[in-house]
Amino acid sequence: MISRTLKHVVLALIVFIWVVPFVALVTTSLRSDVASKTSGFWTAFTPTELGHRFGTHDKGDDTAFLVMKGNIFERLNKDKDSYKVDGSIKSIMFKGRVPDPENEGKTKLIRKLVPVNEAMDVRGGEFIFQSNGDFVWTFEAETAPKPKNLDVFIDQDPVFGLDAYAEVLFANKNVPNALISSFIVTIPATIIPITIAAFAAYAFAWMSFPGRDWLFVIVVSLMVVPTQLAFLPVLQGFSGVASWATSLNAMLTDCESTQTCQVASKSFASLWVTHTAFGLPLAIYLLRNYIVGLPRELLESARIDGANHLQIFTRLIVPLSVPALASFSIFQFLWVWNDLIVALYIGPSDASDLVFPIRLQKQLGTFKDQLHLLNASAVISIIVPVIVFLSMQKYFIRGLLAGSVKGG
Amino acid sequence: MRSIKPIIASNSLAIVLTIVLLLPITAIVAYIITSPLDGLMAKFGTWLHESRDWEFSVFDTQERFAKIGFAIRSIFIAVGISFLYFGVSNWLNMGLARVSSKNSEGRQSTIVEAIQPWIFVGPALVLLFLFLLVPALSTLSLSFQEADGARTSRNYAFLWDPAALGYEQFRYAMRNSLMWLILVPTACISLGLLIAVLADSVKWGIIAKTLIFVPLAISFVGAAVIWRNIFAGGGIQPQEAINGVTPSYQIGLLKSLLGHTAAYNEPLYSLQFWGNFFLMWILVWVQTGFAMVIFSAALRGVPEDTIEAATIDGANPFQMFFRIKLPQIYSTVLVVWTTLVILVLKVFDIPYALSANDDDKLLLATMMENARNNWSVGGDNVDNLFAAIAVMLMLTVVPNMIFNAWRIRREQKDMGH
Repeated sequence: MISRTLKHVVLALIVFIWVVPFVALVTTSLRSDVASKTSGFWTAFTPTELGHRFGTHDKGDDTAFLVMKGNIFERLNKDKDSYKVDGSIKSIMFKGRVPDPENEGKTKLIRKLVPVNEAMDVRGGEFIFQSNGDFVWTFEAETAPKPKNLDVFIDQDPVFGLDAYAEVLFANKNVPNALISSFIVTIPATIIPITIAAFAAYAFAWMSFPGRDWLFVIVVSLMVVPTQLAFLPVLQGFSGVASWATSLNAMLTDCESTQTCQVASKSFASLWVTHTAFGLPLAIYLLRNYIVGLPRELLESARIDGANHLQIFTRLIVPLSVPALASFSIFQFLWVWNDLIVALYIGPSDASDLVFPIRLQKQLGTFKDQLHLLNASAVISIIVPVIVFLSMQKYFIRGLLAGSVKGG
Repeated sequence: MRSIKPIIASNSLAIVLTIVLLLPITAIVAYIITSPLDGLMAKFGTWLHESRDWEFSVFDTQERFAKIGFAIRSIFIAVGISFLYFGVSNWLNMGLARVSSKNSEGRQSTIVEAIQPWIFVGPALVLLFLFLLVPALSTLSLSFQEADGARTSRNYAFLWDPAALGYEQFRYAMRNSLMWLILVPTACISLGLLIAVLADSVKWGIIAKTLIFVPLAISFVGAAVIWRNIFAGGGIQPQEAINGVTPSYQIGLLKSLLGHTAAYNEPLYSLQFWGNFFLMWILVWVQTGFAMVIFSAALRGVPEDTIEAATIDGANPFQMFFRIKLPQIYSTVLVVWTTLVILVLKVFDIPYALSANDDDKLLLATMMENARNNWSVGGDNVDNLFAAIAVMLMLTVVPNMIFNAWRIRREQKDMGH
């Protein structure tokens, strides 16, 4: 009995540790700028004491009065569409000169938190406030004081909003650009390798040609070669192709007049090809192991009926291999979408063409003090792979198992 | 009967030449023909912008929509070209065979079948050759060259010469790699096993497994941003007035739980030496789901009768796990371990995102990036130095590669029986 309870407790604890960071991510992205950078995400769910600054009245409003009545929350929220402040006022920070009890006739500067219902001196008037925000500012003679900014501490009710998402998606160009760029890179870099690998896997499984087994072993061993090893020469190759294309461009078009001859060596196309090559070993390995397991009689009867390899491949193998094709496409999709290093070395370096992981890495610096934006951007970047992943989880797990447990 | 080999050779040559000419030209022409799509999309965007009264500038809308237009056509062209290759080359193969031996169907199919495997594996082999095999070898040769091409071993001087560029960094990188290599796979495997065992014995196990599995879909940079909320240091003081009134605003949950104050404000992952462990934890968080899924499947594959026999013999749960189940999934543990080791050796994103320029947090992959970006003062052989570090990275992977190749060969043999 005890051990059953213990099981639940331990598992719940682990799940809790795994989930808290997600809660932190989403919560921070839904908070206001000030809240996200001045208090931890866990304070967002309960009333929290936060500091704000409000002006007693608008600048330029110089009607004279004896008594001014107003409300601190109204003043705070007057320009706000969202994240409206509400709660109960705790205190106001008083900064000013008061008679010094030690030195008769002199004053001293003090800072002090003034609680509800206690009068304090503001621009020569008597300022009293209530916890619901109402304040009364009384002068002995009719005066038109300048507005005074006061720092107020409020036990603030939880408030959430979508402002950060609106800002990163519409006001900021980088996130939409990164989203589009990531799609430009990911979709071809998933479909192309799977097409090429499926043909190759079929050939390795069911066609006979000289050197087949050795080639397969070489292809599979390439699976563990660190991609870093290939970056420099691949990059040099692409710049060779680019300079060649640049001179071809200069020869064939009138680009010289507009100075647009330069063909970039790091482009989306170079990323497609590189990702395709880097993804092939695993793809061929997984697909070949799947295809080789399909019933041999099927192939033989098709051959007797006079079908050639291309027909067998397109009409028989592809429909039968959908599960394996699906599991590899998820692998490749996730790998390319989440890739930072290949994009960093081989991908386009224009600010508007950066893929999401690079953009996010840069935002760790640029949004260092705008955590709500950083987290909103991260949510947008992970939502695509998480949806793909959860909706095709079955195939993903099947692929993982094919690659590791059975190996065939 | 005329020999068939020259026909095969000439047909192959014809196919290769056609493909080499046809594909790039088609791609270029397709790009030129479809380029008005960008403008059309921009116009559509403008129309949408005006009809919906969007607040931001119309120029931004046009730019975004033109880019979507570019995205659509480049996706279609890139994918189309790869389909075109297989269509055209197979069609050519059959057509040429028909032309070159009109009368004999048998000869036709012999020719077709001699060339066809190479059409199927060709693109894969060419790509792997050009983008992995040749570059790997050429990196190796670059690492033994001066910038001007002369032979040298100077690039590897960071191994033995304390005055050489990268000597200190390399030591940090090796120390950290060793820690990552031991701790991350161990943590992932033990946590993965624990979760697999626990989740299979409670009703809500499937939910637990899904939640632990999700981080696997997230990029390492995303994971870094996510954990920043937990490990970060203090936030910004909201207004100067608050200074001195509230002790410190801790943004990071863990730092807050540890009771850290403003005086102690750096993020946990920036701590000298100990920061490494927080970076490692992020990788453990991502990868444990992988180990868990595989162990969960392997444990379900343990034969029932061995478990029943152990139950009859009165084994307690611990004995059951360590004596009966674990030995039977031992090979799976080994496979997961190799996979994780290779992953750890190549880790780049997490330390790069959170502590890019800190020598104390270097790994070989981040050291390469540092060499490329920050060490240019050291001379013109930065690229060669980069290559030398890449070769060191490769060397660390080699034992695993041999093990993997051996395992796959053995599996192939097993399957043959």
